Amino acid sequence: MNGRNRTSALTGIHGILIKRLGALAVVLFGVSVLTFSLYYLSPGDKALAIAHARYMGEGNAPPEVVQAIREKYALNEPFLTQFKLWVSGYLKGDFGQSLVSGVPVWEIFLPNLRETLALACSALLIGLPLAFFLSLVSLWRPGSLYDRIAVAVASIGAAVPSYWLGLMLILVFAAWLNWLPSFGTGTPAHLILPAATLAVWITASQTRLFRSFLLEASSSPFLEALRLRGVGEKEIFWRHILRHAMVPAITMIGLDLAYLLEGAVIVEVIFARGGIGSLLVGSVMSRDYPIVLFLVMFSAFSYVAINSLIEALQDCLDPRKSLPAPSLRAQRPITTASATDSPDNTTGDR
Amino acid sequence: MTLSPADALPVQTKNRLRQAMAQDRFVQFLLLSLAGLVALAVAGLLLTPYDPTEADFLDRLAPPSLSHWFGTDQLGRDIATRILYGSGWSIGLALIVSTAGAVIGTIVGLMAGYVGRWADPLLMRVTDSFFAFPELIAAIAISGIIGPSTNNMVIALVSVSWMKFARLTRTLTLSIGHKDFVVQARLNRLPQWLILWRHILPNLRMSILVLWTSSWSKTILAISGLSFLGFGVQPPQAEWGAMLLDGKPYMQTAPHLMIFPGLAILVTVLAINLTGDQLRDRLQDPT
Repeated sequence: MNGRNRTSALTGIHGILIKRLGALAVVLFGVSVLTFSLYYLSPGDKALAIAHARYMGEGNAPPEVVQAIREKYALNEPFLTQFKLWVSGYLKGDFGQSLVSGVPVWEIFLPNLRETLALACSALLIGLPLAFFLSLVSLWRPGSLYDRIAVAVASIGAAVPSYWLGLMLILVFAAWLNWLPSFGTGTPAHLILPAATLAVWITASQTRLFRSFLLEASSSPFLEALRLRGVGEKEIFWRHILRHAMVPAITMIGLDLAYLLEGAVIVEVIFARGGIGSLLVGSVMSRDYPIVLFLVMFSAFSYVAINSLIEALQDCLDPRKSLPAPSLRAQRPITTASATDSPDNTTGDR
Repeated sequence: MTLSPADALPVQTKNRLRQAMAQDRFVQFLLLSLAGLVALAVAGLLLTPYDPTEADFLDRLAPPSLSHWFGTDQLGRDIATRILYGSGWSIGLALIVSTAGAVIGTIVGLMAGYVGRWADPLLMRVTDSFFAFPELIAAIAISGIIGPSTNNMVIALVSVSWMKFARLTRTLTLSIGHKDFVVQARLNRLPQWLILWRHILPNLRMSILVLWTSSWSKTILAISGLSFLGFGVQPPQAEWGAMLLDGKPYMQTAPHLMIFPGLAILVTVLAINLTGDQLRDRLQDPT
């Protein structure tokens, strides 16, 4: 009896949780190994690179200094030893110091994170309502001119390179019309153009997905039964269609959140803003390994975290989904798996 | 057993593609315009009197005119010619990257989905780990740390592009692996590679093709984005993103340096995306 209970418990909600956490741990470990091998396998003498980064412009650093650096960072040790050293630092919350300035990575990271979050949130605030509006317009009369315009806007928005769009916006609104400041940070006005650039991308990806989710939900057979029972169209839309479309939409919005970071890289560089993206580009160029490693780890971890959160949320929203899942992401339909980051790939499949 | 397993195989995909192409005006239009773009690029390359990298200092930053349709850049090079040459970099490199990603991902996915047992969880956890890195961030870190160059950018982009194919192929292989015709092929003791090649792969072809088109257009954006940031194709070469980087300092005085390369990217990506959409709508829906 007891034993039977135990086996059934493993397939129950706790079993799912344990399996998922296990898979999560494996993936996070894999992410760390990959990130560190990138550093480990990078060509050139790292001690020399560190010396150069620290004493910029002094030409050749004295060999004793290079040797001291090599010993301090255990650069001659085998992969496993170095990896252990690095991971144990991370586990203790010690993310290392910038090679260039010597400031702890964490202290450099926090203000930049704030900048990026401000940018990402304002882009979401513009982009999501717009996407929602456009998809409603196209749902209003599928196949009509409005629908086509909405789809065309989304298609062009998905194809336009954000770096070019950003520069064009600067050209029009800052250089020609002189309405808004072009570069830098500071006033809220500085946020408008970058946020708009990023919002175009969000709108483009979400409109098409949201449209297809809404279309699919509005063709589900149970709506006919509701109509025959005399339920009003308004209630059908708000309580049933929208709710049905929300489940997949949340997944895609969540995935977009993770990819906002990616979009932020280019936007921040173009508009010369501070933030995680421009920090990454700058540190890669100056070979500031601790910062690069930390940022890569941060982006991967936040992607995994958001993904797991979405899955948990889906389980709560959709009672059909609370069945045991064989793997971390296997329960998502095929088409979504193929569309994790190419939103133009989901419209109308299945 | 007179019935060969091949008889049970639903290989209508090829016919379906042909049918769709014959019937569908829009698909015809798209394919024709893609072919037209390629023809135009080739013809332009053969007919243009200008060299894409040779400087002409007497004719710097000239606005669009009859002799220079898209104007000239800061070194007097004809922008139209450079865009045509750039199509080889942007479109061709992206083609190589997405094809390499598709091949690697398909092999991994087939192994995971068909071999199963220990291979499946192992390969899928590896795929998940690679998937966790946002593409552009990983590509910047990889090509930046190994050293910015075209080759390193290709390595970086391939290593972040195969996972989608692996996931898709695995899921499809899992569902097809239990179909009757595969089971029958197994009972007939066909070699594993033959089952994979003849019975499973043909049924994945169309889904992979659709994903491949979207990967192609995404890679074009990634390549020009990386080049724009300085991590990809390096400036003297006429890659579209590198051209944008070149033109950035002259944005206010000579905006044509930036407008036309950007439009080239936009049009190309849009054309590939639309073709992919149409392919998907027509090939994945019936059933």
